[in-house]
Amino acid sequence: MRATDQDIAPTHRHDNRREFMRRDFLRRLGLSAGALPFVGNLSSLGFAGSTQETTARKQRLIILFSPNGVVPTNFWPDEEGELTQFKPSLSPLEPFRDRTLTLHGLCDKIRGDGDNHMRGIGCLLTGIELFPGNIQGGAKTPAGWSSGNSIDQEIRTYLQNNPQTRTRFGSLEFGVVVPNKANTWTRMVYTGPNRPLTPIDDPYQMFQKLYGQFKDRELLASVLDVVQEDLQKLSTQISNDDRQLLDEHVTFVREAEQQLQAFDQEQSLHEVPELEPGVRDENSNMPKISKMQIDLLVDSFRADFTRIATLQYTNSVGQARMKWLGIDEGHHGLSHEGDDNQDAQDKLTRINHWYCEQLAYLAERLDATPEPGGDGSMLDNTLIVWTNELGKGNTHTLRNIPFVLVGGGLNFKMGRALKYPEVAHNRFLLSLAHAMGHPIESFGNPDYCGDGPLTGLS
Amino acid sequence: MQFRHAVYEKSGKIISLFFCLLCLSDRLPCHAGTTGQQIYLQQCATCHGEKGEGDTGECPDPLVGDLTLTDLIHFISESMPEDTPEHCVGPEAEKVARYIYANFYSPLAQARIAPARVRLSRLTVRQIENTLADLARSFTAPDESTYATRKGPLELRGSRGLQGDYYQSHNFQTDQRAFQRRDTTIDFDFGTTRPVAQKGHPVAQKGRPVAEKADGEVRSSDAKADPSEQKAPPNEEAKEKEVETNFSIRWQGSVFAAATGTYEFLLETPNGAKLWVNDHQVPLIDAWVASGDTTEHRAVIRLLGGRFYPLRIDLFKHKEKNASIRLKWLPPHKTEEVIPEHVLQPDLVAPTLVTRTPFPPDDRSTGYVRAHRISQAWDEATTYTALEVARRIVDHLATYTSLPQEEVEREARLRQFCTTFAHRAFRRPLSKQQVAFYIDRTFEDTQYLELAVKKIVLIVLKSPHFLYREVGFKPSAANLTDATDHFDAYDVASWLAFSLWDSLPDEPLLQAAATGQLESREQISEQAARMLTDRRAKAKLYDFLLQWLKLDQSVEIIKDPQQYPQFSVKVAADLRTSLGLLLEEAAWSETSDYRQLLLSNSFYANGRLARYYGLDLPIDASFQRIPDPAGQRVGLLSHPYLLARYAYANTSSPIHRGVLIARSLLGRRLMPPPMAVEPLPPELHTGLSTRQRVALQTKPPACQTCHMLINPLGFTLENFDAVGRFRDNEEGRPVDTAGSYVTTDGEKFQFWSVAELATFLAGSEDAHLAFVEGLFQFMINQPVAAFGDDTLRVLQQSFADNGYDIQALLAEIAATSVWRVRSLEQQKE
Repeated sequence: MRATDQDIAPTHRHDNRREFMRRDFLRRLGLSAGALPFVGNLSSLGFAGSTQETTARKQRLIILFSPNGVVPTNFWPDEEGELTQFKPSLSPLEPFRDRTLTLHGLCDKIRGDGDNHMRGIGCLLTGIELFPGNIQGGAKTPAGWSSGNSIDQEIRTYLQNNPQTRTRFGSLEFGVVVPNKANTWTRMVYTGPNRPLTPIDDPYQMFQKLYGQFKDRELLASVLDVVQEDLQKLSTQISNDDRQLLDEHVTFVREAEQQLQAFDQEQSLHEVPELEPGVRDENSNMPKISKMQIDLLVDSFRADFTRIATLQYTNSVGQARMKWLGIDEGHHGLSHEGDDNQDAQDKLTRINHWYCEQLAYLAERLDATPEPGGDGSMLDNTLIVWTNELGKGNTHTLRNIPFVLVGGGLNFKMGRALKYPEVAHNRFLLSLAHAMGHPIESFGNPDYCGDGPLTGLS
Repeated sequence: MQFRHAVYEKSGKIISLFFCLLCLSDRLPCHAGTTGQQIYLQQCATCHGEKGEGDTGECPDPLVGDLTLTDLIHFISESMPEDTPEHCVGPEAEKVARYIYANFYSPLAQARIAPARVRLSRLTVRQIENTLADLARSFTAPDESTYATRKGPLELRGSRGLQGDYYQSHNFQTDQRAFQRRDTTIDFDFGTTRPVAQKGHPVAQKGRPVAEKADGEVRSSDAKADPSEQKAPPNEEAKEKEVETNFSIRWQGSVFAAATGTYEFLLETPNGAKLWVNDHQVPLIDAWVASGDTTEHRAVIRLLGGRFYPLRIDLFKHKEKNASIRLKWLPPHKTEEVIPEHVLQPDLVAPTLVTRTPFPPDDRSTGYVRAHRISQAWDEATTYTALEVARRIVDHLATYTSLPQEEVEREARLRQFCTTFAHRAFRRPLSKQQVAFYIDRTFEDTQYLELAVKKIVLIVLKSPHFLYREVGFKPSAANLTDATDHFDAYDVASWLAFSLWDSLPDEPLLQAAATGQLESREQISEQAARMLTDRRAKAKLYDFLLQWLKLDQSVEIIKDPQQYPQFSVKVAADLRTSLGLLLEEAAWSETSDYRQLLLSNSFYANGRLARYYGLDLPIDASFQRIPDPAGQRVGLLSHPYLLARYAYANTSSPIHRGVLIARSLLGRRLMPPPMAVEPLPPELHTGLSTRQRVALQTKPPACQTCHMLINPLGFTLENFDAVGRFRDNEEGRPVDTAGSYVTTDGEKFQFWSVAELATFLAGSEDAHLAFVEGLFQFMINQPVAAFGDDTLRVLQQSFADNGYDIQALLAEIAATSVWRVRSLEQQKE
């Protein structure tokens, strides 16, 4: 439980009651293979916490997406080589400068149906063409879904096939204010051709997925006393002939309670975080939702629910209105303004700065979390890749797609700015797979994988 | 039961026969010489009473206990009779011990001889599901009268269909709406052009606008919709041409689910489309992005039977060359089909809460659902269901409470909501103590308002006041509210609602209870009559009829493809619809009459059935009533669905047909056959007819105990083959339909045709009693004997007095049972 959640609670009341509830919530319910089937499908949870001594180092990957390109001059470091200072958009990464790697010169070379925004997001992690379809963007030809799976799902399948690296979910797809429309612009992750995955942009839904069963148990535990009392009261009012039935019922409820208490007594392996209730899924809550999602993501890593995650902010052509930065215009609209519109350039720089702050917060949370059962922090064992569907908004270029990497999870040599001579981004996707122990020969369209993984990363 | 399902194994080979024993009232083994009973009466009864009831001066306690039989023998041998134990030892002691044990000593014997009584019961699975659905509806759609039935079966009510709004743009722009019309089914191939409103246009459409009213349905502005009238400037012709083929269509309405179960929906389109079912927000199928060659999209959803559910489809065509769409489904008991027009209607209804938690099935060991036992699995299922509902309500709190997030009085309003929720769930107003216990305490103990609501929903749905029915309480403890009688008017309201609807009382019922309008027998009968106009009563009766005919379990009817090449799953599904129409005609029409079930000369057919059964209808005809020209079919006994189902893959089965008549229609008790036997294969007895083979195989005396009753009933239906087609010969041999029945009073009746058998059954008092008893137990979930020895007779008399009106019987059972149970409960001490 985090104090901040309580501080911004909209409906909480008296402080003394808060204290009461705090204790109530601190009665965490642990995990066990016990009798209540809430834990029925949590079989892989046994991994967490119990066998770290003997298992190999955990490697994790997070892909963070923000849309509409960047302002290159305020984004990319000027010099190749050691990272000595950041441009304004990347300045929030200053505390992690020695653990950051920027990759300039990666190009999304996939062509075919769909406009650049569509291919930008649809081919970003898949490295392969979109199917022809009925979604019309700014290009002549409409398009459908991607014709291949995305790299995170490729790696997920690889990890899930190995009992040593298998986790409860395999991967988690987080979103922040993603429009409630399934189309080529809103989907980045694919399990296969024509199989887009919907990012979960509602923290409550994600929470339900991660902890629903834990919370249900907790909720149940908090009412069982009343339920029992209710039954017992009524039991005394039942005629003798029928008493047996209610007595039996009381027994069942008592057994359920005893099982819950047994969980309680075992030391909980997973702290169940608490979410502030009632945060609605809307643009103005974006900072709050972003933080909630990042916290859940870090929690899910700590519990080893997954080692692969994506975090998608809005969507390709996303129209976030960052009023909390004093920016009233929509992001995509602004990104079309010419380079000479200084106001727009400034605002776009600040928008990317804000996204970079989210990245920095994620890195900070991981850095502050000791690796469970291992050495160093979780950041030492995690790589975050921040990327985008375009290189630059007003030209819609798919050249120089932003790839900013933070963390030590894939053993890349960090603290550097690398520049590549217009190489296909498929090669970087290959690098991710190889560094996660999955040395595939090609990924996506093999025509763009000719030279193998990127050189010079590690 | 066991004997039935084996018949329909696809192999058609493994089946069982009926070495049945009539259920004998005397369970005693008969020994030569002195019996246990004789010994008991001689040596024991003076003290213990004739039936071990005790209550004599010598021995006040009844002779019951839990010793094993061996221990009991030993005990008697050693110690009984008390003063002269040597009078009863060895084999004599064993005989008498066995007698005592079997007849009244053991717990099993006690259960057997205990007088029937109305027992405290929980809600049945069906009642929980319906109650939760209606409880939720009372908040989300309080004004919607979805349950009012219209007269006549849906299938025959003429074209209904969905409302379609057609737009000349790909994105449903309001100012681009071209026309509106009703479409009977969603099955269109628009080709490369836009759909147009009028008939006779070049677009190929398999679906069609509603026929009889098409002109009226189409709006006057439609004329403008014809794109050919819109002249584009010449220089923009190319662009205009491309744009012209864009369009979008929104179909809305609702779909009727007849049976409870899983429905699979299929959307076939090369274009972008979404389908919503029972949810206004989240689509069941999202195929908005057409991509690659995928054109078929499937999804499943669980629906409760007897209700309409909102349905909407959005379709758009943009740059694709062609446009087409087809909406199909696979309902329980049926086959995959384009959703037929009779289950669609253009009115949009509110969604229904359908919980997903599976419950362990209710106990049906006595032939009908009883709910006087619980299990750990049941308790867990109630927990999951409660959690499911609690989550749903809190996730959609604004919908359930109509409260804006910013409401200043939020806490007070939420407390009010919770109180109302508990009131409806408990089917009675809460006492002050109850409000304090369930509502106030939880709000005070909980930090977040939403969490408090969640907890209260959970507590209420786990409460015995929600989970249990209204009998079994001590008179002194009647005060569930502050001051009411034992089994008060609210209990009467609940009893009526569960009996007739399997759901909670509606507002008028609760009102009547609150205002003293549910006290007299007349008032109760009035309410029961009113409740019959509700769709839920009809759904319940329909489910009874299916159970009565043992058709409630889904069974695939497979026939030998060599012998019956045209008999398909489609024919079987059509037959089920056809039988449903016959049941509805006899049971739910203005002239509801049990006898018509057996005597009606109606047969309902569509084109496909007509072709298969040799009737005169166009092949694409929809269902309609056609009189049987040859007069060969009489009532449901000759309905091909029953005949085909109670038959083998390639021959009829007089045994299965006979068992159905004996058990379901005449209420005779038959034990299951003691062993499974394969029927004699026809190919090894080529000289014998089906009738002769059956007679040969069931000839042994052990078989005849039951088969002397079963066979002659089934033989009467030998005019109908394994698919229910009429025949007067079987492979060249004339069919012998002579049959007979001996009543329990020993009176013998003979029949030579299905018509004579049906006439006998329609007039048989035994059959009437069996029907009344079956319906009673289906509705009430308690043994009828518990309501007084004469209950069945009284109900049967009123059934006869009302001209065998089945609807009136429904109301009569509800009213009589509640009237009697109220006085039974109020007499308790």
